[in-house]
Amino acid sequence: MDKRFFKLFDLTEEQAIAILDTPPDQVSENDSRYIAVSHLVNFPTEQTTQALIRALQQTDPSLDNRIVRRKSLETLGRLRESQALPFIRPCLAEQDKFTVENAVWAIGEIGTEDAELLDEITALLATPRQNYRVIIQTLAKLGYQPALDAIRSFVDYPEPPVMSAAIASIARLTGDSAQMDQVTVLLQHPNVMARRLAIQDLMDARYYDAISAIAQCPVSLVFRLRGIRCLAEAGIAAGRFSFADIQPDVERTLRDHPTDLHLVSTYDRPSELPFLIHDLYDTDFGRCYLASKALIQDHAQAAPESLLATYHEEACTDYGAHFHVIKLFGWLQYAPAYDVIIEALHNHQPQFQKSRTAAAIALGELGDHRAVSDLQVCLDSPIWDLKYATLMALQKLGDLSGVEQVVDDQDWLVSAKATQLLS
Amino acid sequence: MKSVVTTVIAAADAAGRFPSSSDLESVQGSIQRSAARLEAAEKLAGNLDAVAKEAYDACISKYSYLNNAGQANSTDTFKAKCHRDIKHYLRLIQYSLVVGGTGPLDEWGIAGQREVYRALGLPTAPYVEALSFARNRGCTPRDMSAQALTEYNALLDYAINSLS
Repeated sequence: MDKRFFKLFDLTEEQAIAILDTPPDQVSENDSRYIAVSHLVNFPTEQTTQALIRALQQTDPSLDNRIVRRKSLETLGRLRESQALPFIRPCLAEQDKFTVENAVWAIGEIGTEDAELLDEITALLATPRQNYRVIIQTLAKLGYQPALDAIRSFVDYPEPPVMSAAIASIARLTGDSAQMDQVTVLLQHPNVMARRLAIQDLMDARYYDAISAIAQCPVSLVFRLRGIRCLAEAGIAAGRFSFADIQPDVERTLRDHPTDLHLVSTYDRPSELPFLIHDLYDTDFGRCYLASKALIQDHAQAAPESLLATYHEEACTDYGAHFHVIKLFGWLQYAPAYDVIIEALHNHQPQFQKSRTAAAIALGELGDHRAVSDLQVCLDSPIWDLKYATLMALQKLGDLSGVEQVVDDQDWLVSAKATQLLS
Repeated sequence: MKSVVTTVIAAADAAGRFPSSSDLESVQGSIQRSAARLEAAEKLAGNLDAVAKEAYDACISKYSYLNNAGQANSTDTFKAKCHRDIKHYLRLIQYSLVVGGTGPLDEWGIAGQREVYRALGLPTAPYVEALSFARNRGCTPRDMSAQALTEYNALLDYAINSLS
C-alpha cells in the first residue's frame, strides 16, 4: 500500500482527535472534522480507535457529519481495528449506501469468520441500490463459500465492474477460471473505469494468463504496474513462471510507448496539433496515449516546441499532462528539453512521482551521456519503478557503472534486473 | 448518458408500456427546472478556471496545517492536486446541469472512483474541502439567480457526498 499521501496534514494526533470530538455545529470555520478523521489513519493507537468509534456514534444527519462517519469507517478498516467490529456492524443496516459500502469494506480489511455477520453482508446482495461490487469483493476476500450462489446471480449483471467482480470472485472461491476471459476482455472496454477495475479483478483472481493483456491495457501505467507486479509475485511464489517469463511485460509497461498499447479509440481524421496537445490533459489516459501516438506519427517535427510551450504554460502543474509531455520529449528525442527532463527526474512531489519514471525512460531515449550521474542518484530511491526504469535507461546509454549497488536491492524486480545486466 | 428523460423511457420500454403520469410529472419537473440549470451551466462554463482556482486557493489559506515544502503536506502539492481534479469535477457538474441528471457525475466521477481512491491510498480531503468551499461561496444574485444556484449547489453536494 502506497502511503505517500497519508501525511497530507501537519496535525498532531491530539489536535486531530480534539477537532473530531468537537460537535459538528461548533467546529471553527478554520477546522475540518473530515480532515481530522482522514489524518487519524497515521495513528494506530487506542485513543485514536476510541475517537473514531465516538465519531461513528455521532449520528447527526447533515452532509458534513455523514462524510465524517464514512471516513471513520474507512480509517478503522485501514487500522484493522477488530474491537471496532461491533460498532461497524450496525452501519450495514443504514440507509446511506456509501456508509454501508464503507462498513462492508472495513469489515473486509479487519477480517472476520463470524458466519452471522457474513450472512448479513451476503444479504445486502438482495437489497436494492447497494455497491454490489464491494460486497462481492469482500465476501470473496473473506473466503465465504456460502455466498457463492448469491454471487453467481451477478455474472450477467449489466454493469461491467459488478459482472467482472462476480466472475473473479467465483474463480477465487472455487478455483474455476472458466469465465475469466470475460474479465480480460474488459481491459479493452470503452469506459476507462471498467478497464481499471478489471485489472483489480484479474489481480484478485490471480489470473496469470492476463499479464500480457494488462501490459497493453490503455490506462495509466500505475494501474498496469500494480497489476503485473501483484500477479508476478504471486505466480513466481507459486512456481508458475519465472522472472524471465514476465520481464518483457514489466519492461514494456515501464517503457510505456503508445504503440505498445492496444488503444480502444481512434481519431476519425488526422488531428491538428493544438487538439492533440489538449488531449494530453484528459483524465482518461487512453485518450492521452492516442494523442501521443498521433503526435509521434504525424507531428514529429512541429510537436516538440508546442510541447515545451504547453509545459511552461500549464503542464508543469498538471500531473497527468506533465507525465505525457516528459515521455514525448523522449520519444521525439528533443534535446532542448534536457533540463526540463532532469528537473522531472528529481521532482519529489508525490503527485509527480510517475513523471520521475517517465523522465528516466526519456533520458535513455535522448541518449545524452551527461544524464548518467543524475540517473545513478535515482538508484538510491525507495521507489521500485523509478529504480527499474533507471536501470533500463542506463542500459540504453551503455553505462552500467553504479548498477552493482542495486544487485542486492530489497526490491526483487530491481535486484533481478541489476543481476541480469551485470552477468 | 442517463437523464430523467432517458431513465423514464428506458423503464417504460423495459416494461413494454407508455410512460405513466408520474413518469411524465418527473419529466415535466425536469423541464421546468431546465432554464435554471442552463443558466448555472453557462455561468459555470464561463468561470470554470476562476471557480476552481478560488476553491483551492481558499482552502489552502483556510487550512494552515499545510506547510512543508516538497512533502505531501506542502501547499504546492495540495494546490496542484486540486487544480487538475477540481476542474474535472466541475466539468462533470457542468455536464450534469446540461443533462438534467447526475449521469455524467455517476458515470465518470463516482462509479469506481471510490474504489480507486481507496486502493491507491489517494486523499479525498482536498476535493471535499475545495468543493465545500465552492458550495459555500456561491452567492445570489451576484453569481447567478437563486434557482440556478440551488441547482448548482445540489450537484456540488452530490459530488461531495459521493467522494467521501
